[in-house]
Amino acid sequence: MLTEVVQLVLNGLMAGTILAVPAIGFTAIYAVLRFPNFSVASQVTIGAFAGYVANVTFGLPAPVAVAFAFLVAGFSGLVCDEFVLRPMRPAGPLAAAIAAVALTIVLENVVRFWFGNDLRGYDLPVLRDWRFAGLRVSPQQLENGVIAIIAMACLFGFLAFSRMGKAMRAVADNPMLASIKGIDSVAVGRLVSFVGMGLAGLGGMLLGLDTSIDPLTGFRAILTVFAAAVVGGLGSIPGAVVGALTIGVAEELSLLVLDPAYRSAVGFVAILLVLTLRPRGILGERAF
Amino acid sequence: MGLLTASGVVAGYTAADEILKGVDLDVEPGEIVSIIGPNGAGKSTLLKAIAGILKPSRGTIVLDGTPIHGRPPREIARLGLAFVPQEHNVFGTLTVRENLEMGGYVDPAHTAERIDRILERFPILAEKRRQMARTLSGGQRQILAMAMALMVEPALLLLDEPSAGLSPIAAERLFETIVAINAEGVAIAMVEQNALQALSIANRGYILVDGRNSMSGRADELAADPSVRRVFLGGEAA
Repeated sequence: MLTEVVQLVLNGLMAGTILAVPAIGFTAIYAVLRFPNFSVASQVTIGAFAGYVANVTFGLPAPVAVAFAFLVAGFSGLVCDEFVLRPMRPAGPLAAAIAAVALTIVLENVVRFWFGNDLRGYDLPVLRDWRFAGLRVSPQQLENGVIAIIAMACLFGFLAFSRMGKAMRAVADNPMLASIKGIDSVAVGRLVSFVGMGLAGLGGMLLGLDTSIDPLTGFRAILTVFAAAVVGGLGSIPGAVVGALTIGVAEELSLLVLDPAYRSAVGFVAILLVLTLRPRGILGERAF
Repeated sequence: MGLLTASGVVAGYTAADEILKGVDLDVEPGEIVSIIGPNGAGKSTLLKAIAGILKPSRGTIVLDGTPIHGRPPREIARLGLAFVPQEHNVFGTLTVRENLEMGGYVDPAHTAERIDRILERFPILAEKRRQMARTLSGGQRQILAMAMALMVEPALLLLDEPSAGLSPIAAERLFETIVAINAEGVAIAMVEQNALQALSIANRGYILVDGRNSMSGRADELAADPSVRRVFLGGEAA
């Protein structure tokens, strides 16, 4: 029993590490642009398929293909924000959020039109699981976790040490003061859209590397991504990491008492609990 | 022509609600100008219109020969005008040092050297440079807010009620800091509720009432004027 619990916690931490990547993208966009951009779901899917093209069509190894997934989803997110969501933002966060949902539906159908509905898998070497002390870890899971940690470390480095990263945090903290200090909030908004959606796309490919992809990959992931961001504290980047790890472990541990079909209910329950007990989330609304 | 000349400025938060109804203001290089008046007179609104946060519907604002009315705040900041709002004037989730970096955002080439100078000048900020700004006391935050403004070596500093919410001792120290900044040649236009203290350090003063100029003149003369003392200062001149 103890080994089973430890295995589930281990699986949950691995899953949470991957989930943290799109959750950071979602929460970073929320922190700067002040609306829940649910079109993260479609960029998760677009990133997963961009990575698929790089990996299967062009034969690039998975660690290189994730960079392609990041760039394509980032660019797609930037273009969509510029032409669809930015014009909606003056109408308020609710209008922008609804537009983001509509955008997701359109983009997922574009992907469906191009690639069809079939499940697709990446071209990966078949490797035997590593076993130690009765626990199993797949080398692919570990590689995905390392890629996710590298992506997060790059983002944290960017936010902590670069001038533009600090400007992004400043806009997230106080947009009016940032404007008074000469920071171009529109340019920062474009940057956060690119980086946030790029992370969503990268996360989409990491999710697909673990299982398979189809046009609904992002749609299925968005509740968990949203739950991770809310649990950690919407707008808090470290919070998104904490929230993702919490949701990842909670989903896995739920398997001890729940049928796997109900696993996605964990996200709903987590959102409900957090909104009832600590509406600001575990780490509150800290931008960084 | 003065450093700043505002003429007939009409502005408000909505088109239907004009708070400023044609205000004039001049600031000469190197002087301190205090803007006082009752609540709702439009003092803070005037500073916001000058800083570019509000767009005047009529009137002109000229900074050192360049018209700035209607320009966005970041362009005005680049022209040498720094504005310190009354509230939310530091980035709470950034460290003191990062706040100073953002203060000098429009002039990155000189940021490092200016941060060193600022930290040398304000030892309390040097001591707390790695702390999040939200952990500072009210007085320390005001010092940081002014230090951020100094990062661009402005020709004109606009201060919106800098002593609001401070203890008398902290307010006294803050006014000393304002005088010291001005002694280095930075012109200051300041809105203050504490009218007597504001006039005591100013060269000139303006009194606004209901969005219009009511009186203006030398600060010592305004402070001694019986009608001013009765209305704004709570007593007759000694």
